[in-house]
Amino acid sequence: MTDRWTPRLVFLGSVIAVAVGFTIFWWLTIPAVVPSNSLPAYTPNPANGLTAFNAGGCSSCHAVPAQPDRTRLGGGLAIPSPFGTFYVPNISPDPVDGIGQWTEAEFVTAVIKGVSPTGVHYLPAFPYTSYQHAKIEDVRDLFAYLKTLAPVSGRVRDHDVPFPFNIRRNLGIWKLLFMDGKPFAPNPSRSASWNRGAYLINSLGHCAECHSPRNFLGGIVAAQRFAGGPNPEGEGWVPNITQKGLGEWSEKDIAYFLQTGELPDGDTAGGLMARVIRNTSQLNPEDRAAMAEYLKSLPSVDGPPRPKKAVKHDQ
Amino acid sequence: MIRMVVVVGTLLLGVGAVMAQQEIAVQQQNLMKGQARSLYTVVMKMVKGEIPYNQAAVNTAIKELEESVGKIAVVFTPNPKQDVVDATYGSSQKIWQNKADFDSKIPPVAKAIADVKGKIKDVASLKVAYDQINARCGDCHETYRVKLK
Repeated sequence: MTDRWTPRLVFLGSVIAVAVGFTIFWWLTIPAVVPSNSLPAYTPNPANGLTAFNAGGCSSCHAVPAQPDRTRLGGGLAIPSPFGTFYVPNISPDPVDGIGQWTEAEFVTAVIKGVSPTGVHYLPAFPYTSYQHAKIEDVRDLFAYLKTLAPVSGRVRDHDVPFPFNIRRNLGIWKLLFMDGKPFAPNPSRSASWNRGAYLINSLGHCAECHSPRNFLGGIVAAQRFAGGPNPEGEGWVPNITQKGLGEWSEKDIAYFLQTGELPDGDTAGGLMARVIRNTSQLNPEDRAAMAEYLKSLPSVDGPPRPKKAVKHDQ
Repeated sequence: MIRMVVVVGTLLLGVGAVMAQQEIAVQQQNLMKGQARSLYTVVMKMVKGEIPYNQAAVNTAIKELEESVGKIAVVFTPNPKQDVVDATYGSSQKIWQNKADFDSKIPPVAKAIADVKGKIKDVASLKVAYDQINARCGDCHETYRVKLK
């Protein structure tokens, strides 16, 4: 062969490599779907849906801001982050601006797989990395409960997320890195209440989403789960809730805190945790006690180092 | 020689400025900690039965709380733009971005205290007073206090 062929072969080789690479990428990032025919016949329980609603903390993000009705889920809250500002969508049963036209399978797909009815990956500000562990029945019950709430009209604006984070398809890779896709597996050597607590905390409660440090890709640092970290929404620090942080708290202290927001020294939870207490205070006492039992059992883990010097604010 | 004086003088001014800011942050923290002392080491402990009910101590705690709450708006007027070194809690910058809203949260605390002043006679009435006052403190903390560790 003459020298003219080598660059052409190199070029052809690169084109094929790119095409193959892109096809693999496309295949790896196919949004998962829960098909409706995979869901067995089921009569939903809206009362359990209410428990799921409170445990999942849906209203803290999805309720219309600056008004007291937690069940008005018209969205609109702005959530700042290192990846841009998210605007929480309308999940009221409004048929035009909310989820009124959604099927049950579409809702389950959204919550458990983080995929929209049009097959687009949701941005993980929606904590499906935790919700993926929820029981399908709880999610179906939640859907039934949401359908009983008042429709709120008004579509919320798109997220303000810069390139490259707005390329939704890339989230397929992010999900491969940070989601195991497995439902919650109870630990048979532990009590039923411990398992209930572990289930609530790790799935619907999504506590680790705030109470863990994150890496530069925005995924949770698994080795430091629950060990606290910088507030993902901006100011301040989210505390360590392993025994490193909660060593002085009894189970009763933890359960009381989840009910009232009152710390053992009398002070009240402030900032973002106050929003959480508004939800956990609505759970039944057995569930809070279960969550406390599980939290108290978390071995002591050191969190990331905190800024020690006087922190200068630039704003 | 003159250059040395100017450089050292500027450095001292700079250090002084930083120290002055830290002083402000400490003053603000001390105001809050004083209120916590009145409410949590005196009132709350009596409510929980950890220490015996003492009318004189209750009256002093309520009086000190009332005086201290009256100072919040003024003490929190300057913005130190930094947190107290090694503190657990700090002030959100939102205080100075929305000072009017911050200030508006103070009268309800003062009112909660005024409503119970002179009416606390026993643990039961103390608990009612404690819950009402504590809830008003929380209304402000939710937006304007930041956890640092």
